[in-house]
Amino acid sequence: MNKSASFKSMTKGFGLDQAMAEAERCLLCYDAPCSKGCPAATDPGTFIRKLRLKNITGAIRTIKENNILGGACGVLCPTSRLCEKECCASGIDRPIEIGKIQRALVEHSWARNFQVFETPELRKGKVAVVGSGPAGLSCAAELAREGCRVTILEARPEAGGVIRYGVPSYRFDLDFLARELADLKTLGVEIQCNVSIEGQGGAEKLLQSGYDAVFLATGLWDTLRLKPDSGELKGLISSIEFLASLRDQRFQQVSESLAGKSVAVVGGGSVAMDCAEAAAKLGARDVNLVYRRSFSLMPAEKEERIEVLDAGVHFHLLNQPVDFVSNAEGQIQGLKLVRTRLGEPDASGRRSPEAIPDSSWVLDADLVIEAIGNQARSESPHWYPNVQVDSLKLIQSDPSTGQTSVAGIFAGGDIVRGPALVVEAVQDGKVAARGIVEYLAGKDV
Amino acid sequence: MTRKKIDLSVDFCGVKFNNPFLLSSSPVSNSAEMVANAFEAGWSGVAFKTLNSDRVRIVHPSPRMNPYHYGSKRLVGLQNVEQISDRPLKDNLLDFLYLKKNYPDRVIISSIMGFSNEEWAYLAKASEDNGADMLELNFSCPHMTVEGSGHKVGQANHLIEKFTETVKRAVSIPVLAKMTPNITDMTEPALYAKQGGADGIAAINTVRGISQIGLDDWTARPKVAGIGAISGTSGPAVKPIGLRFIADLAKCEQLGLPLSGQGGIETWIDALEYLLLGSTTLQVTTGIIHYGYRIVEDLIEGLSDYMAERNIERVADLVGKALPTLQETDKFDLDRQGTAHYDVERCVGCGQCLVVCNDSAGQALEWDAEKRRPRLIEDKCLSCMVCSFVCPVTDLITYKEQPKNWQRQETEVMGKDLEGQLKLEVCK
Repeated sequence: MNKSASFKSMTKGFGLDQAMAEAERCLLCYDAPCSKGCPAATDPGTFIRKLRLKNITGAIRTIKENNILGGACGVLCPTSRLCEKECCASGIDRPIEIGKIQRALVEHSWARNFQVFETPELRKGKVAVVGSGPAGLSCAAELAREGCRVTILEARPEAGGVIRYGVPSYRFDLDFLARELADLKTLGVEIQCNVSIEGQGGAEKLLQSGYDAVFLATGLWDTLRLKPDSGELKGLISSIEFLASLRDQRFQQVSESLAGKSVAVVGGGSVAMDCAEAAAKLGARDVNLVYRRSFSLMPAEKEERIEVLDAGVHFHLLNQPVDFVSNAEGQIQGLKLVRTRLGEPDASGRRSPEAIPDSSWVLDADLVIEAIGNQARSESPHWYPNVQVDSLKLIQSDPSTGQTSVAGIFAGGDIVRGPALVVEAVQDGKVAARGIVEYLAGKDV
Repeated sequence: MTRKKIDLSVDFCGVKFNNPFLLSSSPVSNSAEMVANAFEAGWSGVAFKTLNSDRVRIVHPSPRMNPYHYGSKRLVGLQNVEQISDRPLKDNLLDFLYLKKNYPDRVIISSIMGFSNEEWAYLAKASEDNGADMLELNFSCPHMTVEGSGHKVGQANHLIEKFTETVKRAVSIPVLAKMTPNITDMTEPALYAKQGGADGIAAINTVRGISQIGLDDWTARPKVAGIGAISGTSGPAVKPIGLRFIADLAKCEQLGLPLSGQGGIETWIDALEYLLLGSTTLQVTTGIIHYGYRIVEDLIEGLSDYMAERNIERVADLVGKALPTLQETDKFDLDRQGTAHYDVERCVGCGQCLVVCNDSAGQALEWDAEKRRPRLIEDKCLSCMVCSFVCPVTDLITYKEQPKNWQRQETEVMGKDLEGQLKLEVCK
């Protein structure tokens, strides 16, 4: 397989036989702890029991009815700290590989063309879902199954949000996404792409233009900056732009431009890992990952960190970037770093890095990718001026219903939680859908 | 005692076997090429694939076998519609001569099946004249279609006696009768075989069964050009049935013949169970179909180590040792009662015990939802022990006998307040 093809396809998952063999290790627990460990209540305890008893279609139905992105979660979930962390089989030897079973069942439904969903009868209410990421898709599916007429408004050219534009293809490929999106279509959800609600009060106007309720799931699409006022530099790119470019028409050009280059990635989270691994896989000569704390304090999952090391990325731990080095033409040439040591724990409980005096040095780089965190788009509060937001511009909503400060406007996903997991966004969508259905019933729609 | 000193050899109907492990008459003993490999691996003898006299042309159905899987555990059982040998008699006899010449210390048991007195005698004599050490009369092939053959003979006692007698008159080597389990009582036909002069009994042949129905074509497997059939089932799934028949035969004092046990033997533990219930030699097919001839190494090593650990010098000292305590259920002492006992320290918290106790036993468990641990209410425990069967931790749940004066709670009655509506006449 050539480089580009291998970049674009995911590692093969379990086949049905392997999934069955794994399910046979399951202890079929009473009051299954794994099911309690799933933020989206995908209910692995039930779908594994169904698989074990050869009720394979039932197992698939359990997954997809509980979690419209059951396939995506099977691939992307950090299961070792969710369902699998709770697994009683750990007391025997090791947890059941729940994520892999889940993915296998969803893929099996495609192989045997088993349709979980039928197109529901339209009964009540017209709802606009803003954003087609995990929260939006989940809310839309749940509402459609309740008989609502749902339209998803997506500002980008294609649907999927962060699982399309924020993940490299080898981690989650587009074909897989397309198949999960097909279920939305079956459910009668309309997805309108290239439709933005930007502009003064756009979201609130939807309530006056025929929608009975609105669900805001716009996500976090600005990257935190090391030096917000450093201006435009050639070779300085945000993680959001870098990852998005690998999923659209820019792929070929970006991929070619990386060949032989020295890349520096700043950050220690999952996004930084994705950027670094992607750059390495696409043929960058050296990929240097710069993180100000130690290996074990990185927010990225352990498996991800190991994978990135295996991909040949050089880790520069206990190094804090302080400035960009560029030439007269504004082309990045390197990153100025200072060495750090770990001091007292900060609010997050992790020991905070302290700069070591006179330790600065320059790491050569042709391209610097900033991956130190995502935040709400700075202008986003203007899209919904009456909706209460906090100091980080995150929307305030009732966790049990998704209701915001404006009647009829609900919200969920990262724009409410801050950076969170796909599976948590799925849950937000489900919760808000229930909130919306109740709201519509109260309004007698 | 060290394993090296263990002698696994057995005397069976006056013939010496280096160990009790033989290939049974089946696809695994179809030719000398195969059997030679088995002998190299360590098998002490073979019941060769049943000879036929060339009078009837044998054609095997295609396909001829089907597996019985359990979950992802493969080949828990096997169904097979293969007939007796489809090779010319001459070829099989040449193979006997080859094996006898090259493996003089191994035992060849010629399995034969005739359709008439003359044919039984002819095959018996031909076998003896070409190196067979013993004969096994196949009264039990469960899927022969010709009346007066296979298991149809095994179900007709007078034919068993007649054919055995005929064979015994024709040869001087020992003769085994191989019995079908597809009857209620095997001792009866076995006694007829003895009456006819049989020197030993081999059991069981395969159990008539159906391993699978195709869900798309509604046809039993194996499907032979659109047709399914009831046929012989073997493997671990039938071991309990095999052990039962061997025990029946061994406990029949009137019979008193040596036994060659078979039916689901894969491991030395299976083999030992057959020995303890009265078998002297042991025959294997499905275990070999699943794993190959190499399993004999594990049969030999496992049995030897078991014997060494217990200072048991000869296999003969194990034969029938489980028979004295094997009684009818009316011999149980019902005054002695017990309960399950939980070593909760080792519990991993799955709660399967709770599920099975609630749904199939005495509702004798309480559940600490916080700690995910069961607690036994001892005087509700029925001592059925199903909790221990599903518990993933070996011996976490064990049986504990209770003192003589211990009392179990009576089962809850739900309709106490409905007594006025009860319709029940006193039984006279």
